[in-house]
Amino acid sequence: MFERFTTNARLAVVAAQEQARTRGADAIRTEHLLAGVLDQNDSLVLSVLTAHSIQRVDLLADIDAATAGPSDAEALATLGIDLDEVRRQVDNSFGEGALDRTRATRDRKGRKAFGHLRIDSSAKKALELSLREAIRLKHGQIGAEHILLGLLHAGGAAQEILVGRRLLLDAARVTVAALARDRRAG
Amino acid sequence: MADATQVAAAASSRDPAIGLAAVASLRGLLESLEELQVGNARDQGWSWQQIAAALKVSRQAVHKKYRRFGF
Repeated sequence: MFERFTTNARLAVVAAQEQARTRGADAIRTEHLLAGVLDQNDSLVLSVLTAHSIQRVDLLADIDAATAGPSDAEALATLGIDLDEVRRQVDNSFGEGALDRTRATRDRKGRKAFGHLRIDSSAKKALELSLREAIRLKHGQIGAEHILLGLLHAGGAAQEILVGRRLLLDAARVTVAALARDRRAG
Repeated sequence: MADATQVAAAASSRDPAIGLAAVASLRGLLESLEELQVGNARDQGWSWQQIAAALKVSRQAVHKKYRRFGF
């Protein structure tokens, strides 16, 4: 399937993996794929967003909000536990950085730092749908814009984010078709 | 602590995202502390039996969990 992807579409998938990793996720999800698509500053994707009065930065903010969990310190604070204080006490007894050096801590922080991340079912579906979108529009290649269309009906957080910003599948399809036609004509 | 009220409000929140994240972080902290304490106990010559008794778990459980750590 990837052999029919444009360079930007491929880069979007690569970037999605990076996005998932840096956000500490255990899999590539649709929100990471959306972030990967936005990373490419693909002219057609940006034109689709502009045509629907959507700001790229707003989408990025939505992705951040959807992926950011509270830090351990914040989460423990809700239980009245002061992680900094715990760390101070442990350091006093066992030496500086003892708590962060435990295997338990390192395993939790470093679990996803290497190796390939699996791609979750919704993100996989979005890629499959991107192929169908390209075929449907009679486009020979799958571009970042087709991934965007795929994300609009694959389920998952990306769909929620895009729909929340009023990007709807049918309208987006019309826009992509028109822009692609213009680009070819131009 | 200026944000004590904020913390109290969050603790009483019924938002699962907040509550579950807190449990996950607490479990992580627990694992780290247990590892430090078990390692320290072994360094001080405690037997697995003594450690298990103090942790209120079976000797097998604690031995199985920490054997691979080389304690």
